[in-house]
Amino acid sequence: MSNTPSGKERRDPRRFDRRKSTNVSGHLELLSKMSGHLAVTLNIEETIQKALDLIVQFVRAEGGALFLLDDVDASLVCKASAGPVDIRGISLQAGEGIVGQCVTENSSRIVRDVQQDPNFDHSVDDSTGFQTRSILCTPMTVHTQKIGAIELVNKLDDSGLFSDTDLLMLQTLASAAALAINNARMAEDLVEQERFSRELELATEMQRSLLPAPRPAPFPVCGINLPAYEMSGDFYDFFEIGDGRIYFSLGDVSGKGMDAALLMSKTSSLFRCLGKSLHEPNVLLATINRELCETAIHGMFVTMTCGLLDQATGEVQLANAGHEPPLLHARDGSFTPIPASAPPLGIVPLVAGNGGIRKETFRLDGGTLYIFTDGVTEGDLKDGSRLGTDGFKKIILERQDLPVAERIATIVSTLGDTGRKRHDDITLIAIDATSPCLIEDTQHNQGTMIARHTFPARAEELQLVREVVSKACDDCGCTRSMATDIVIAVGEACQNVVRHAYKDTEGGEATLEIYCKDGIIEFHLQDSAPSVDPDKIKPKWPEELGPGGLGICLIHDIMDEVEYLPVRSGQGNLLRMVKFIERTN
Amino acid sequence: MKHEISEKQGASVVAFTGEVDLESSPAAREILLKCLGTTGKVIVDLSQVSYIDSSGVASLVEALQAAKKNGSQFSLAAASEPTRRVLELARLDKVFTMYDSVDQGLDS
Repeated sequence: MSNTPSGKERRDPRRFDRRKSTNVSGHLELLSKMSGHLAVTLNIEETIQKALDLIVQFVRAEGGALFLLDDVDASLVCKASAGPVDIRGISLQAGEGIVGQCVTENSSRIVRDVQQDPNFDHSVDDSTGFQTRSILCTPMTVHTQKIGAIELVNKLDDSGLFSDTDLLMLQTLASAAALAINNARMAEDLVEQERFSRELELATEMQRSLLPAPRPAPFPVCGINLPAYEMSGDFYDFFEIGDGRIYFSLGDVSGKGMDAALLMSKTSSLFRCLGKSLHEPNVLLATINRELCETAIHGMFVTMTCGLLDQATGEVQLANAGHEPPLLHARDGSFTPIPASAPPLGIVPLVAGNGGIRKETFRLDGGTLYIFTDGVTEGDLKDGSRLGTDGFKKIILERQDLPVAERIATIVSTLGDTGRKRHDDITLIAIDATSPCLIEDTQHNQGTMIARHTFPARAEELQLVREVVSKACDDCGCTRSMATDIVIAVGEACQNVVRHAYKDTEGGEATLEIYCKDGIIEFHLQDSAPSVDPDKIKPKWPEELGPGGLGICLIHDIMDEVEYLPVRSGQGNLLRMVKFIERTN
Repeated sequence: MKHEISEKQGASVVAFTGEVDLESSPAAREILLKCLGTTGKVIVDLSQVSYIDSSGVASLVEALQAAKKNGSQFSLAAASEPTRRVLELARLDKVFTMYDSVDQGLDS
């Protein structure tokens, strides 16, 4: 239809201005009112009803209706109605009636005598008793997006007919209404998005809280999870079972997103709950599998490794169900993968005998066990290549002098800081009994830790150690001369670690912990060098005068108690030195 | 640790400053043995030594043993409190010849 009087009006805008000056100012007023309504409400229904009322009044029509296009089935539904008959809720199919055609063809129409128009749908008139004589209809669009249409019926003047000018007005007003509706819709979407993102935030926080809190360095298990999206399908966990053993696990749920995250939550809860009573990793995995299969979500499964570390012996029992083989990095530098002995969990209820899930038993013996998801080995590096198992080993070897927590942090930062969008979660845990693993000692109630200092076992580090000791002595209230003595003794002990314990190796480190309680200052010096024979480091004064023997002699002279404690991980040396304090004042 | 060597009245006076510990004691040892190789009398000024550990003491002991072997004189002077304390603890305060000041050592 070419009912576009705009062409004609454009030919002489001055004439239009003169003739329609009242209309134009009224039009502007109307636009301003509509905008005002939009500003105070973000409710679409309310906005369009007010807009329609104003338009009907302004164009002087008997009635009007505003139809919006339903995104789902492309039908047109009347959302606002003005005039004697309320037709809100009636629905037209695409292309149906004059309104439907307007929208489908994206063109306006003036129908001066509806009774002559074959497209006119009489059903509304028939059911309401209203008599439609003329119609003015224009589609509403924003950019290329169809929003709906506004239809006015029966011009309220003698002729009862809509003019081209009326159409021009309606077109302008419809554009404004379309914009208003679009804005209100976007505002609604925004509110919805906001609500969703708040829910997601809560869910993310909830999920992060399922991961165990990091434990201070002596604890032999540490882990990292870096989700690719808000929610993660990976998990890890560890906890002590009370007999000196630590249960640890790591799993990867198939798929990504919310469903994977929910299955992750379920599986990690099962691990934590069942793990407290089932102290056989393979039995535990078989039991979790049974539970998951009972409430299987079609097509979803979990690959999972779990194990027990005996802190006293360094022995590990490990079971692997369909998971990427964990790597044991032995002290001699070799890497041994521990492959899965069963399919992933949640697929088939396994037969009796733990369904063939085997339990591997080995000793860490100064090595480190790494368990990770495929997000690690399949992660992209900066240059776009994959890290791979070899890349993983390479980083571990390069960083093997670092504490284990820093080693795995390096892996994660290597994959996480590439500037590329990641598509998989990165999750990694390490079990490392060579990390200083001090005994949480109840028989030696050592008081409050007032300092902890880990240092590379090198001569040039000793000055800083002495400063730490000196300050701790002051904090503990020692006299100056006693502090001097203590610095000498602890300095000698540290020197022995540098000179003797690590004599054949580079890159060792030691940790000094200082405790203070009433009347006592206590020092724990831990290294992870091969164990020394305490008999060989007894004071040898004065016959064998050498610096080593002299150092031991000084330690024994100054300190009130000196002893080697057993190291729980079975690796390294832990020297305990106690001094009864003479206090200043 | 820093050091300064001066020749006074036919003797070498070696003044150490700072900490003589595992890091610096190999240098201290070398300096002392070198001086003993050129002079028959070496006095070590310990007044500015803030800390000495067993490895530092071992350097002094080794120099003393070398001096005895050569028939040279080797003495310590003006030991600071921390130095004196370590030598006492090591029961070496009676092994070394110790003077209250460098001048006293030069005069002896």
